[in-house]
Amino acid sequence: MSTPANILVVDDEMGIREGCRRVLAAEGYPIDLAEDGTVGLAKVQEKPYDLILVDLMMPGIGGLDLIQKIHEIDPEIILVVITGYATIETAVEATKRGAYDYLPKPFTPEALSVLVKRGLEKRELRLQALRLQEEREQRLLELAGERGRLRTIIGCMADGVLVTNLERQLVLWNASAVRMLKLSGADEPGRAIDHYLKNKPLLESLEHLLEAKDETVSMINQEIRTDDPSSVLMAQMAPVRDEQGRLLGAVTVLRDITTLKEIEKIKSQFVSMVAHELRAPLAAIEGWLGVVLSGEAGGSEEQNRNWLLRAKERANSLLALVQDLLEINKIEAGKVAQKMEAVQVTDIVAKVVELFKPEAERHHVSLQVKPSSPPPVQADVQDMEKLFTNLISNAIKYNVENGSVTIETSQDAHFVGVHIRDTGIGIAPADLPRLFDDFFRAETKKRDKVSGTGLGLTIAKKIVDSHLGHIEVESRVDKGSTFSVYLPYKK
Amino acid sequence: MRASGKILLVDDDADFLEMHKAVLQNHGYEVFTAMSGQEGLERVRTEMPDLIILDLMMEKHDAGFSFSRTIKTDPLFKRIPILMVTSVAEATGHRFSLEEDGYWMKTDDFLDKPVMPAVLLERVAKLLSEKEEKP
Repeated sequence: MSTPANILVVDDEMGIREGCRRVLAAEGYPIDLAEDGTVGLAKVQEKPYDLILVDLMMPGIGGLDLIQKIHEIDPEIILVVITGYATIETAVEATKRGAYDYLPKPFTPEALSVLVKRGLEKRELRLQALRLQEEREQRLLELAGERGRLRTIIGCMADGVLVTNLERQLVLWNASAVRMLKLSGADEPGRAIDHYLKNKPLLESLEHLLEAKDETVSMINQEIRTDDPSSVLMAQMAPVRDEQGRLLGAVTVLRDITTLKEIEKIKSQFVSMVAHELRAPLAAIEGWLGVVLSGEAGGSEEQNRNWLLRAKERANSLLALVQDLLEINKIEAGKVAQKMEAVQVTDIVAKVVELFKPEAERHHVSLQVKPSSPPPVQADVQDMEKLFTNLISNAIKYNVENGSVTIETSQDAHFVGVHIRDTGIGIAPADLPRLFDDFFRAETKKRDKVSGTGLGLTIAKKIVDSHLGHIEVESRVDKGSTFSVYLPYKK
Repeated sequence: MRASGKILLVDDDADFLEMHKAVLQNHGYEVFTAMSGQEGLERVRTEMPDLIILDLMMEKHDAGFSFSRTIKTDPLFKRIPILMVTSVAEATGHRFSLEEDGYWMKTDDFLDKPVMPAVLLERVAKLLSEKEEKP
């Protein structure tokens, strides 16, 4: 023992007290003495003792009571009872109540020092055990904290997590998994996974993973459909192994890939549409070149020239199509590409109308703008030019000989309206709902004579949408169409 | 020696109609054209062609299919061979087969656009001579 133990002697006989003090001081222990129970108890409350010698037969507080009171203060203090022969039974009773041992009077100095030594060794063992227990408890507390943190983190994840052990019990899961898979009864843990989970494909894959004891199965990626037809999940199942590579269970991570699937579908639709729209003109160009180069059509020089011009026309329309596709991509890239500023739409319209005057004359169509001065709107100038170019170009192209295009504005509490009215061929009611779809071109008698990519109105609508406005169309076959653009303005 | 035979071209793309017509006419075939399935059927009735060259994917998406079905189920016309041409077979997942198998579409012959003149002439001659041989 590094520091000498503190010893207290409580006895009403002075001779015993002094005797003990002499013997134990010689052994190097610091000794305190108390002449009765009350004084002894006061000393115990003041100072930590390792061992106390207690006389059983004392006036005031008796030895048995004192033992109990001391142990209430510190249960690890070693108590040795000093007793006369007459009270040996009481001494036995005292050891039952927690005294370490007893020393019958009269005792030899050797007997005293041996017993004190043994008692102090016992004390040291007890304290060590206590320290170990404290340390263990501390570590358990930390471990519990760690597990709690882990649960909190997993609980906050947007991805679903399920952990299954080899016994197919669900041992860990989070709220996202419960929501995604609609797990039932997840509030009572520890049961077989199929008690909570009813999704057959997922259960089968888990089973497959847990059955494979070797390392052949490293991971399973699987698309999962749930009862909710609009949602698609990606389940990634991986085996959990210990350091020796033994299989312990499986961890499943679930990700909601509904949006991803939707984008994929749109993309594949787009690719197939582009394949059609790009391949047809390319095949025509290639075809004409083949006809001219092979000479199999036996064309005259003038005919050959004519056919090459046909190929050139298709090449031009292909170029226009690529241009429009890039335009759409630019609009869909969003605000990055837009520079919003206060724009006077009538200025833009006037500029575009000026550009289209030669074309209108060629078609024998008159172009009129009714003067007005609506409030400015927040818009991207380039977008606005493209928008009115597309609409005015259509109004001229799909017009009739000696027809007209009239442009006027309107204004209500929130929107500035621009109306482009033509006296053209019009659009059949059946075609109106698809008018703004990609590549849709209404079936009219002019369709095959007028070149177009089928994207002009798609672009117009996307531009208007990106400016938080809306576009409307009214049309009567053989009477004409009116396209109205409404753009919001700040009062 | 100049070839002979009546050929009907059905395609909604004016360029293909014209280029195929120019090549075939130059080699002695009599050529009629139609820009829709409907117009094509009328032409089949009035002209009774020896061969039909059909674009599968016309603007109304099943126009080529229904035209082909109508011809092949009509006792009067079913012996007229049909040469399918299309530029979008791969993109749309349509596949052709020379034999009936319920999954691929049966046709007498098929070509991807653009059809090179030499190839077109060779296939047309082959289909017409096969037709002659059949009882």
